[in-house]
Amino acid sequence: MALRLDWALSVVVWLGALLLAAGLARRLALWRQGQPAPVAWSGLLAMPRRYFVDIHHVVAREPAIARAHVMTAGGAVAILLALGVNYGLMRYWPVLDVVTLACAVAMFAGAWQVRARRRAPPARLSRGSWNRLPYSLLLFAAGIALIMALFLLGPFALSRMFGRALAALAGIGLLLGGAELVLGIGIAGPMKHALAGLAHLAFHPRPERFGGRSTGLRPLDLRRPGLGVARAADFAWNRLLSFDACVQCGKCEAVCPAYAAGQPLNPKALIQGMVAAFAPGGPEYAGNPHPGQPQSSAGAVHADIVGSVLAAETLWSCTTCRACVEACPMLIEHVDTVIDLRRHIALNRGDVPGKGSEALANLRYTDTVGGHALAARHHWAVDLDIRVLGEGMNADWLLLVGEGGFDMRYQRALRALVTVMRRAGLDVALLGAAETDCGDLARRLGDEAGFQRLAATLIATLNRYRFAHIVTPDPHLFHCLKNEYPAFGGNFDVHHHSQLLAELIDRGALSLTAPASGGGSVTFHDPCYLGRYNGGFDAPRRVLRGIGVTVVEMPRSREDSRCCGWGGGAAFTDIPGARRIPDMRMDDIRASGAGRVVVACPNCSAMLEAVVGPRPEVIELAEWVAERLAVDVP
Amino acid sequence: MRYPHLFAPITLNRLTLRNRVVSTAHAEVYAEPGGLPGERYIRYYEEKAKGGLGLAICGGSSPVSADSPQGWWKSVNLATDRVIDPLALLAETMHKHGARIMIQATHMGRRNSYYGEHWPHLVSPSGIREPVHRGNAKAIEREEIRRIVADFASAARRVQRAGMDGIEISAAHQQLIDQFWSPRTNFRSDEYGGSLPNRMRFGIEVLTAVREAVGEDFCVGLRMCGDEFHEDGLSHQVLQEIAAAMSGSGLIDYLSVVGSGADTHNTLANCMPPMALPPEPFVHLAAGIKSVSSVPVMHAQSIRDPVQAERILASGLVDMVGMTRAHIADPHFMIKVRDGREDQIRQCVGANYCIDRQYHGQDVLCIQNAATSRESTMPHVIVPSTGPVRRVVVVGAGPAGLEAARVARLRGHEVVLFERDDHVGGQVALAAKAPQREQMAGIVRWLDMETIRLGVDRRLGVAARVDTILDEQPDIVVLATGGQPNVGYPAWGVAEGLAVCARDVLAGRVEPGANVLVYDGISGHAGFGVADYLASRGSLVEIATPDVKIADDVGGTTFPVFYRRLYAQGMIPTPNVWLERVYAENGKIIAVLRNEYTEQLEERAVDLVVIENGIVPADELYWQLKARSRNLGQTDIDALYAARPQPCLSESLSTDEFLLFRVGDCVSMHNVHGALYDALRLVKDF
Repeated sequence: MALRLDWALSVVVWLGALLLAAGLARRLALWRQGQPAPVAWSGLLAMPRRYFVDIHHVVAREPAIARAHVMTAGGAVAILLALGVNYGLMRYWPVLDVVTLACAVAMFAGAWQVRARRRAPPARLSRGSWNRLPYSLLLFAAGIALIMALFLLGPFALSRMFGRALAALAGIGLLLGGAELVLGIGIAGPMKHALAGLAHLAFHPRPERFGGRSTGLRPLDLRRPGLGVARAADFAWNRLLSFDACVQCGKCEAVCPAYAAGQPLNPKALIQGMVAAFAPGGPEYAGNPHPGQPQSSAGAVHADIVGSVLAAETLWSCTTCRACVEACPMLIEHVDTVIDLRRHIALNRGDVPGKGSEALANLRYTDTVGGHALAARHHWAVDLDIRVLGEGMNADWLLLVGEGGFDMRYQRALRALVTVMRRAGLDVALLGAAETDCGDLARRLGDEAGFQRLAATLIATLNRYRFAHIVTPDPHLFHCLKNEYPAFGGNFDVHHHSQLLAELIDRGALSLTAPASGGGSVTFHDPCYLGRYNGGFDAPRRVLRGIGVTVVEMPRSREDSRCCGWGGGAAFTDIPGARRIPDMRMDDIRASGAGRVVVACPNCSAMLEAVVGPRPEVIELAEWVAERLAVDVP
Repeated sequence: MRYPHLFAPITLNRLTLRNRVVSTAHAEVYAEPGGLPGERYIRYYEEKAKGGLGLAICGGSSPVSADSPQGWWKSVNLATDRVIDPLALLAETMHKHGARIMIQATHMGRRNSYYGEHWPHLVSPSGIREPVHRGNAKAIEREEIRRIVADFASAARRVQRAGMDGIEISAAHQQLIDQFWSPRTNFRSDEYGGSLPNRMRFGIEVLTAVREAVGEDFCVGLRMCGDEFHEDGLSHQVLQEIAAAMSGSGLIDYLSVVGSGADTHNTLANCMPPMALPPEPFVHLAAGIKSVSSVPVMHAQSIRDPVQAERILASGLVDMVGMTRAHIADPHFMIKVRDGREDQIRQCVGANYCIDRQYHGQDVLCIQNAATSRESTMPHVIVPSTGPVRRVVVVGAGPAGLEAARVARLRGHEVVLFERDDHVGGQVALAAKAPQREQMAGIVRWLDMETIRLGVDRRLGVAARVDTILDEQPDIVVLATGGQPNVGYPAWGVAEGLAVCARDVLAGRVEPGANVLVYDGISGHAGFGVADYLASRGSLVEIATPDVKIADDVGGTTFPVFYRRLYAQGMIPTPNVWLERVYAENGKIIAVLRNEYTEQLEERAVDLVVIENGIVPADELYWQLKARSRNLGQTDIDALYAARPQPCLSESLSTDEFLLFRVGDCVSMHNVHGALYDALRLVKDF
């Protein structure tokens, strides 16, 4: 009797393995609908490190559920391995039964905590089959534990009626729970995340992000037909795989500024929309939809994504702030997805909403976002007697001012920056009318052709002149030059002004003799393209510390900072929502109790200063440094 | 981008201006004896440079020759080498702030007064007398022409040596050059008269000599008139011909155009258009000149608002805008525009207090900005006090009280402002009720907005009493309670209702009668204003005054505007009489007037007698509070006049002690400027 039960379990294990293989084959077939992509098989070797280091970074922000996950998933993996060895290979070693029992107990405890959370789940979590999952896991763990206990007790236990009844119950639990584990992967149950997640780690589309930072957009080959992603099948296969890794935890939803503003974008629903597009017929999505939009799971792999699984407004709501990417425990790249879809619209249909089309036309005709004369970019500098770099001239520091040069508010910051750099004895020059737009806006709005033209233009200009370093106060320009121009042959030593100012202060190059003005508390607003995109969290804080300013941090600061609403051209596409993102950010600032907020980006300064009504004062980093120099900023 | 045209640099010859806004040449009346710019002069201009202005052209009508006296207006004397060092300091100061500085040079010819300085014999093309300055002159001879042309060249060399950015030659307002141009003043039959080329000869000789003196690269401008508005004067068409010739000569780098001649009181009043005229009344003349000019054109006349300036530039009417009075009212105009603080600009209202003082040979002061030209002692930007935060109670929200509250708040104090009325403004709010004087309200509007912006605790509609004030536990009480009409003379019968005061009429508390006598004992703006108010509502108005003429004390650019209305409205001016008494008889009111010089009595039977006789201080609160205050209500005038803090401010007060001060009309009757200055100089050190 006992022996036959052993065999039965072996049969179950083999059956499970077969079903798992079949499910995996099905998923593989779905992923392979995508385009070929070069992947490094060495990713498989890197997987454990990526799992235990990179993912741990993210999930450790929520320790309770992380512990529960370790117990549940660790227990389950250990159980499956032990069963595979002990029963798959028909070894039947009691010692492994003991191990399996211990793992099942741990898994049960973990799943119990998961269940507890599911009883009053945060709004960001999906419901549906995800609410069933803890119970399936509990059944599985309980079933395994019971069976192992019975095996360990031996024939004595099973010879009793009670024991046999228990064994039958345990078997049913094991089968039901095990079905969730093995079938879920193939037919898109919640457990699909386990294998897809691991495979995603191995074949991640941005392997550079492990142990580093990879935030620059990938160049689009403009000679290949299609241009961007219209249908699910236009994605590379490992991008489709990445969507399958989603656990619908909604951490992206919780941090998305557009979602919070009631604009029609929910990053979780976006990713699930992609799943629906390449694997139609899966379980109904049971999470929050894109605000104001019906959630449709009726996708088809060869149908246009826009218009079937999501509306174009969803794409144009994104500020490309990367808060979602930063929050995602499965390391999914939402922003790349948005940009790929935008590229198709912008390059094939030119249907960029709001002022986006106008901005792109301006860039096409004037090389400026606002449609200005190029020389007007430096009108603010004519009375500063600052050199304009010409052929044959040499400068140590080239200051690129970006579109902020046209903004009268921001010109104050630029004048302050020039004043500070000069007081530090730096040899600084401008590019004059030769400075053209870096292409950030064009690229984020999907106009990759416009971006590549602008990048080539600016790179050619910069290559004509002799200078040692570039400094810019515009994080978007900084990001383009630093992270995206190398792909087009532009390699420059580029610094954000916060980094330069921090260095100047650290080495005592500035004599900060004037008293600081203001008083009252001060907070710092991290620009997305300096912070999350480039890890520039410390330099601006060092500057503020250096000039004697104590910063009261907002809860949403550094990696968790909330976008001002400008990025990704969102200020241009201007998709309506229930609130405005900068208003929400100003509320964050108010809640900190600060009377002043320091910014380090021309766009943040424009967005926050445009908040109407009484509000904390917005001051640019360089302005405050200049204030401490005891010199009039002309 | 906001104001893309206003902030677009422009290059004149080699001179690049950071924006299109210019403080054009005007007589400042600040030069030190001998016609040298001193500290006051330089700081007055420096403030504009700090404030973001592109170009200042200083030294309105700075003479190049000794027979063009400068003493009347204390202008800069370009006829001496001693001017070089002070001009060099001025230029250096302006450049430090990124602004450019030029100076105007001229020979005024007959537009001057001979009785002073060297007692010169003034020169003019044909020796025609100039009426405004009583400028008797002789006909200029060829030798004198050559001397003066050489003087222009010497002056230009001095300007260039000082490091100034350029020189502007004046041929506007009937200076010697345009006296040659104008058929009103040039009846010569030699090569300097007759045909237009002959009449332009002197000007071309001057410009040629100046250009030779300074070389190719130095900015030389020419200021000219766009239409003299005289039947026998220069018409716009002729001036277009002149402008085409001058700009086509290659000798100048820009033209600056003003509308109106200036050799009569009435035309001169147009030159600095007062508030009665519409905005930018003569920009069409500048645009007409621009249409024939081959060099950029500048224009200044009632351009006071940044949006207006941007519109004028954007529509291509001119290339540069002069905003001269705008900068007298607020030298920080441009940085406020640049930084999006337009609402904080103290906007010129065209009250012409500045130019009306200059007309009398007094230094230019701004009616609404007491810091202007007092930069050495009075701050344009009030910095917070480093001392204790005080509780300051201000009573009265007229100009003095509003300014006291504003400045005290900027010093960082807690400020409570009581005002009996439900609105702010005091007497200025009434002054704005007179026809074509509406813009006076702009003075109050700025103070109103600033006190709100700064968070002054304003209690409008609250008549403060002693206990109201003491309940606030003040450290300092500033009384700015103004005054009551000075109509208590019993024979006038105001108490009996036989006569009313001007204030009641302007406030709408009195119905206009059909036949009205306005008696003006002051000859300021109020008396004529109330007469005009009544005439505009259909009253037949006689305005009587003991002064030598109606509205005698309003200044040279204001009385012509009043007189235009006086005659157009059919008002009857009766100067040189005193109001003896008023009584009622047969349903009519009889006013008895006594002639100052004959002592003869005259009677008027009218429906209404309106009296404007200034004010007596409203000082009840002062007398009630005086004994309780630590300083017994006394202001240390030595400290006040020296712009030092009041000594009592450094004494420590016990909790129920307070300091008491008075500012403005509640001490004795002053004007708007006096009220603001009282408040600023006292409160800046709180």
